Amino acid sequence: MAGTNPFPLSRDELLKCYRTMGTIREFEDRLHIDFGRGDIPGFVHLYAGEEASATGIMSHLGDGDRIASTHRGHGHCISKGVDVVAMMKEIYGRKGGACNGKGGSMHIADVSKGMMGANGILGAGAPLACGAALAAKYRKKGEVAISFVGDGASNQGTFLESLNLAAVWNLPVLFVVENNGYAESTSRDYGTAVDSYVDRAAGFGLPGITVDGTDFFAVYEAAGEMIKRAREGGGPALLECKMVRFHGHFEGDAQTYRGAGELDSIRADQDCMKKFRAQVTAAGVITADEFKAIDREVLGVIENAVKEAKAAPLPTLADLTTDVYVTY
Amino acid sequence: MPTASRTDTPSIGIIANPVSARDIRRVIANASNLQIADRVNIVLRVLTTVASLGVPRVLMMPDRGGIRAMLQRQLRREHNLHHTFPEVEFLDMEPTSTVDDTFLAARMMRAAGVRSIVVLGGDGTHRAVVRECNDVPIAGLSTGTNNAFPEMRESTITAMAVGLYATGRLTPEQALVQNKLLAISINDGERRDIALVDAVISTDRYIGARALWKTESLSALYLTFADPQAIGLSAIGGLLHPVGRREAGGLAVHLSDDPATRRLLLRAPIAPGMVREVGIAHWEPMPAGQPFPVALQAGVVALDGEREMAFDAGDRVRITLRENAFPTVDVARCMQTAAREGLFRLSSSTT
Amino acid sequence: MARTISMKQAINEALDQEMARDPRVICMGEDIVGGAGAEGEKDAWGGVLGVTKGLYAKHGDRLMDTPLSESAYIGAAIGAAACGMRPVAELMFIDFMGVCFDQIYNQAAKFRYMFGGKAETPVVIRTMVGAGFRAAAQHSQMLTPLFTHIPGLKVVCPSTPYDTKGLLIQSIRDNDPVIFCEHKALYDFQGEVPEASYAIPFGEANVVREGKHCSIVTYGLMVHRALEAAATLAKEGVEVEIVDLRTLSPLDMDTVIESVTKTGRLVCVDEASPRCSIAADISAQVAMRAFGALKAQIEMVTPPHTPVPFSPALEDLYIPSGAQVADAVRRTLKGGKH
Repeated sequence: MAGTNPFPLSRDELLKCYRTMGTIREFEDRLHIDFGRGDIPGFVHLYAGEEASATGIMSHLGDGDRIASTHRGHGHCISKGVDVVAMMKEIYGRKGGACNGKGGSMHIADVSKGMMGANGILGAGAPLACGAALAAKYRKKGEVAISFVGDGASNQGTFLESLNLAAVWNLPVLFVVENNGYAESTSRDYGTAVDSYVDRAAGFGLPGITVDGTDFFAVYEAAGEMIKRAREGGGPALLECKMVRFHGHFEGDAQTYRGAGELDSIRADQDCMKKFRAQVTAAGVITADEFKAIDREVLGVIENAVKEAKAAPLPTLADLTTDVYVTY
Repeated sequence: MPTASRTDTPSIGIIANPVSARDIRRVIANASNLQIADRVNIVLRVLTTVASLGVPRVLMMPDRGGIRAMLQRQLRREHNLHHTFPEVEFLDMEPTSTVDDTFLAARMMRAAGVRSIVVLGGDGTHRAVVRECNDVPIAGLSTGTNNAFPEMRESTITAMAVGLYATGRLTPEQALVQNKLLAISINDGERRDIALVDAVISTDRYIGARALWKTESLSALYLTFADPQAIGLSAIGGLLHPVGRREAGGLAVHLSDDPATRRLLLRAPIAPGMVREVGIAHWEPMPAGQPFPVALQAGVVALDGEREMAFDAGDRVRITLRENAFPTVDVARCMQTAAREGLFRLSSSTT
Repeated sequence: MARTISMKQAINEALDQEMARDPRVICMGEDIVGGAGAEGEKDAWGGVLGVTKGLYAKHGDRLMDTPLSESAYIGAAIGAAACGMRPVAELMFIDFMGVCFDQIYNQAAKFRYMFGGKAETPVVIRTMVGAGFRAAAQHSQMLTPLFTHIPGLKVVCPSTPYDTKGLLIQSIRDNDPVIFCEHKALYDFQGEVPEASYAIPFGEANVVREGKHCSIVTYGLMVHRALEAAATLAKEGVEVEIVDLRTLSPLDMDTVIESVTKTGRLVCVDEASPRCSIAADISAQVAMRAFGALKAQIEMVTPPHTPVPFSPALEDLYIPSGAQVADAVRRTLKGGKH
């Protein structure tokens, strides 16, 4: 049975996607530990558990395609190709970080990779993605923009206004609602009057679909069709990825609002990486040993990133007042 | 109104799938999206209707897709307005937002002794209920994409029929009808599943976004019934060689893209808004009880429109039509009988 | 060749010339074309006061009407700027910034710094400011200090058609986000403007009148009130020097200090509310940097600390007048050492 690949990605692409998901997982799990030790300053929001969404979507994008991310942006950054060492340095507040230590976890960006920034203001990325899509429309190269938003921030006016603007201007933008069930600590049942995000799209005349965000292949295929449609002028759409968050809203969150056994059960049954491995090994395309080898390789990559981050110099007084303006 | 002939508390179940009609066909084929608010309105209409017929208690599947949360809000408002509703009890289960929720809810409702289960969904949701619970009569309300199985009908009428049956005003002989299904077995029962309308063999070999819409990947169709007015892959059979829902036997259709083996090209509505040409090699009747071996070496079996079971070289896939497999509430017959027998007449003085 | 045109025409001409020069320049805003999607005339309004009228005929779809949805389209302009376009978004009244301020002060203003100097956001937000139109509390404010307070934003508020054209062209060419404040009471104000394109650099205040007795530092419509006061005072033998700041961020403090050093007296005139205003800022900086040059107390002329009233009788009392400016000059001339 080995040798034939049933998936819409080549073996190499599958390996690459797994490596990306694994890098995100290890990056986040390592931050969880290092934050607990007091090594990391500030606020950190981890993406672990949600890797299939970022990776499944970003597999369809190039550097010319822009994304506007959220406060939970590390996974989006890594899957969009932002350098992991530069990210780690940034989170440690070091010179040579992705933003030279001036942004931190919530503001990592790399415009050269089409990553327009994680964003500390919930819902703020949606209008920006509309702008990126507008620029793409003028450039006429078939580029698209992706706006990521959580289930909580989808209640922001900015998000709803952006759905309308994108529909009115027929922008090549895909709105991705990463629905992990919690707006910080508040359940989506409480905070969202109609907690179907597809219905919001329908309210603006946009097609929307819901996929199991813990199933890489479901995300990959659905996002692929929607992105292709946007590139060809078919306009905006909304993709709801139902997913789970393995860590708290931020690091330091004791998560006492969760039901008994909830975390154990989602880690056991809804781990997107486990599901990916199970599907791909069952098809005989990649062996369990090959996956383990990638896990080891990723561990080394993150270990090295932490080492480099800790060794990197801190910014100094001379850096405090630079980069406010291009000219002033 | 005649008094209910049964003295124990009749209860019914409602399984409302929040994510039916939410798949990729919204994007590739402009398929409809029934909003959560509308699904909740359907449930509310079912509730008030069965309450008016004396059903005091309704069990509901909880979900994390918006139906429970919105329904609870609405029920609180209805309570403030002093409107009559049955007692609504959500099953004690943790929703996973997968088809497992429907499986579990169906089993729990069966164990709780509900008289009937009202199902809101498409073919796929109905299939999931029947798979776990094939002896409690179901009454389907179409809220899905490919709705060959549940009929299009105002939920009030369906709820009236369910209420008549659940309260014992109609007997099983008067109210119920038996249906066909397809039993799918891989490697002599190593993996088993069912389909209510169609089991489709595709050369796709992974589950992905589940829906099937690429005609070039289709290899064979096995159908319990084939209605020329149906939408979805069963329409291929329906437009080729109609087989009624109540007729004996089913239909197997073998497809081919290859002009050498293709007997004809057929145009069919394989998804809402998608009329496509499909190459037909041949077709044959499916007598009940006879296993049909699947010829394709490796691929996926889609059950009622969704890719479900991947198989590879060496796997033996068999598909068998079963008759009298599970009961549904025959709404049309229920209402005709009710009219004939005057079940809704409140007084006989004017007759 | 210079000819006399209105400030409105100067804005229109600047946009026209920059759109012709640079294909990345696009304009968006509520009704900037007017009549989009309606059955009647296209380009029906050309902006609520006709400022952009006629541009659609020349530049077509590079001018876009937007839904009444400021946070979406101001944000989209900012996003497009971050992706290489040079959008000019019109926020009809500066009072509407409340519904889109996050996109301006948390997004556009901070991208460059937060991203370690690796982003540019060359967006221009044109917006009407100021009182005098009987437009009441939500369509009349002078909110320049709020924007000036934010690092990362540049704030421009011209007083003449000449400055308007040159500063708007500079704003579009500038690589930072610019809040371009247009005083609605000056839209029909006429002045000499060259036909050719020109840019006026930011951070260069303009000494519009030279004098030796007192410096008046101001901007926007208040420049004209200061000129009225200067004419009155001249008859009393008092020669005031008037500094028109033109850009509030960056701010040309050198010219202010130079003037105060010469005259020894300072009156700050600001149409914004008094607390934390431009006037208060200039006063503080002069007190800090040129205390020794001051011969008397600094005076500030601002509206009272109230919302802008509707009734013409009240609004006329609200807006600082030439007479109030002249009185302030007289007060500072009487005060301190001679």
